[in-house]
Amino acid sequence: MELEPIYVLLADDDDSDRMFFTDAFEEIKIKTVVQTVKDGVELTNYLSVPELIIPHVLFLDLNMPLKGGMECLVEIRQNNRFKDMAIAIYSTSASEEDIEDTFVKGANVYIKKPSDFNQLKKLLTKVISMNWQYHTSWLNKEIFLLNL
Amino acid sequence: MKHQNLFSASFYLKVIFAASLLILVTISAITYRHTQSLTESIGWVMHAYKTNVQVEQLFSMLKDAETGQRGFIITNDTVLLEPYNNARQQVENAFIQLEKQMETKQQDDHLQNLHRLINARFAQMEVTLSVARDQPLRDDLLKSSMVAGKAIMDSIHLQVSKMAALETSYLQDRQAKYEYKASITPLFSLLLLLFALNVFIFSYWKISHDLNTLKHKNQLLILQSDSIAHAEERNNMALRERNHELEQKNKELASFNHVASHDLQEPLRIVQTYISRLTEKEIGLMSAKGKDYFVRIKLAVTRMRNLIDALLLFSRTNRTDSIFEIADLNLLLDNARHDLSHLLEQKKGSIIAAQLPTLNVIPFQIQQLFTNLIGNSIKYSKPEVPLLILINCEKPAPIDFPNTRYDHARNYYKIAVSDNGIGFEQMYAENIFTLFQRLHHDEEYEGTGIGLSICKKIAENHGGLITAEGKPGIGATFFIYLPA
Amino acid sequence: MKIFLQYDIQKMCAAILEEQLGQFELNYTVLGTGEVEFLTPPDTQTLKIIQEQLKKYGIRIIETPKNILVEKIKEAIFEMVYKEDDLPASKISTYLSGKLHHSYGYLSNLFSETTYSSIENFIILQRIERAKQLLLTDELTVSEIAWKLNYSSVAHLSTQFKNVTGLTPSAFERIIRKRRLTVSTVRPGP
Repeated sequence: MELEPIYVLLADDDDSDRMFFTDAFEEIKIKTVVQTVKDGVELTNYLSVPELIIPHVLFLDLNMPLKGGMECLVEIRQNNRFKDMAIAIYSTSASEEDIEDTFVKGANVYIKKPSDFNQLKKLLTKVISMNWQYHTSWLNKEIFLLNL
Repeated sequence: MKHQNLFSASFYLKVIFAASLLILVTISAITYRHTQSLTESIGWVMHAYKTNVQVEQLFSMLKDAETGQRGFIITNDTVLLEPYNNARQQVENAFIQLEKQMETKQQDDHLQNLHRLINARFAQMEVTLSVARDQPLRDDLLKSSMVAGKAIMDSIHLQVSKMAALETSYLQDRQAKYEYKASITPLFSLLLLLFALNVFIFSYWKISHDLNTLKHKNQLLILQSDSIAHAEERNNMALRERNHELEQKNKELASFNHVASHDLQEPLRIVQTYISRLTEKEIGLMSAKGKDYFVRIKLAVTRMRNLIDALLLFSRTNRTDSIFEIADLNLLLDNARHDLSHLLEQKKGSIIAAQLPTLNVIPFQIQQLFTNLIGNSIKYSKPEVPLLILINCEKPAPIDFPNTRYDHARNYYKIAVSDNGIGFEQMYAENIFTLFQRLHHDEEYEGTGIGLSICKKIAENHGGLITAEGKPGIGATFFIYLPA
Repeated sequence: MKIFLQYDIQKMCAAILEEQLGQFELNYTVLGTGEVEFLTPPDTQTLKIIQEQLKKYGIRIIETPKNILVEKIKEAIFEMVYKEDDLPASKISTYLSGKLHHSYGYLSNLFSETTYSSIENFIILQRIERAKQLLLTDELTVSEIAWKLNYSSVAHLSTQFKNVTGLTPSAFERIIRKRRLTVSTVRPGP
């Protein structure tokens, strides 16, 4: 069992969604530490702190005011510091083309926000465990792609 | 009327030119003949002159012979007989010459007469000479011989005169004729020339008049076509503006559609999530009535969700930035099959598909098309009967779709998707593709009424069509026409 | 220009250990898979430093025997999927129990307890990983890959691929290809 908890960061502008997210993680058996920010600017600021413990997984909503998810995605992926951080796009439904586009721009996971709480727990579990596998089993993060 | 005029003008022109040519030719012919006549008449003069001279020469030769003979008789010197000796031969040559020149029988007869007479004279001269050589000279014989000789000579002279007179009369005749011709020919030519001149002047006037009319008409035409072009240009601009407006409106509508469906999803999803949370955690605390209400809330929210999802899908098929690619339709069908595999299994359904072509399409949309149709078949399948979906494809054939925006026949692939579901009444065949139109109530079959509209939109995005055939209780068939 | 790599974990680890442990002049031997024995045990301080350093390479020091066994299971599976060109004909269970000298039931339970998935899932994950790598080398077609990895059909591979990743093999390939084309400037982090 991994002693270290898995560090998770969520960027989402909706407070209900943030609440669901943190509640879900509390109910998942995997040990996690969850942080949330409410838009792209806060995210950038959070990530630029030098003493930061870099999250294992960043959940990124696309529709955020001030600075949107796509912009953040491209920026983060250009920064070598976060190359080991998995990015999961956490968004409302989009077309296949848009989803593929996020993958091409560097996202590892795409999650369509579910409308059922249990479903949410399931999805988050899958993402975290998959990511953990990549983390612990010498798998190539570059080809970690997951579409849920 | 003017039209007619111009037309006859060209005919007129042809006539004028033909006439001019004719006149020219005629005048040339006349001139030629005239010249010829002149040459002829000169010839005749020469001929008459020549003949007369030659005849005179003949006479003269004869006289020479006579002179020679006389001289000899007087002197008895044979030297003086030389002309007499030469004369015979000369006369003969001269005759040969003259014979060639005789033109008429009459003149020829005269010549023959002359010949005879001259021969007679020479014969007489011989007689005279022989008498003269006789010693002693018989004067009376000499005298009679010489007198006879003179008589012949007189005849000859007469004959010669006759011949000269005849020749001259011939000449006079011919001259008269020639003069007659010569007198009228110049007149004729002059008249012709005057006529031609008139014609030329008139035609020149006519042509230049017509040319002016033409020029004038041309100018009018140019003005008119200019004004038409201007009108067209104005029209075009108006059209372009209208087009632009429409495009803008369309874009606005599409983006409104998209944003509305998208933004509506958010709060709805959150509501649904809260409902699911409550269902898990709090429903135990509710009264029976409360639970019931809750269940209905859930149903209503789910319906709303489906509607918005469908609307979103519909708005996506309206996107103008979709890219066409060459794609194998069989793969797209497989993907659709895969996505619905779970539902298919539930209905114990199977899909038998023929080989589909590879076409230039928007892959996501065609896949959506298949998904919607198969989903439709699944939803409206007969409850206890295993679902069977047959997919067929016909080779491209030219098809004409009257009353549509496709105004001429093109080659289309015809893909038929048929099922053994509950079917529908054929009279609703067009209805079912209308947005939000449904044939069933929500209690019987849940649905949004958008699925088939999306199929129609997709078919139209590809320049094709979709139609349906239904037999209640037997099944339904959808025909997808895609351009080859 | 593309070059294709295959990793020899053993060699890599040995080299890294050489580099890291060497600085402290520690006497050690590498015993087979993932076991290092120190002749003279290093103190806790040094061990902590070593632990931190090795973490940078993704090498963790595992504490419990159970974890060790789990790592061994993983390795065995790893070997099975990657090193041998064709997966063994014998069943996974016999293979693993034979190799690790435990019953398959025990191994399976242990694995599920320790990790977040079962052995079967892990195997599927590894196979799909390999499939991903093979897809990206461009040399084999999907059907050849399916055959190489012992799938009963291309459809089986595609289905499993989609189940694991949520994408079809072709979509996956397309995405990675597009990613590699958009070469973005990578700035070194602060």
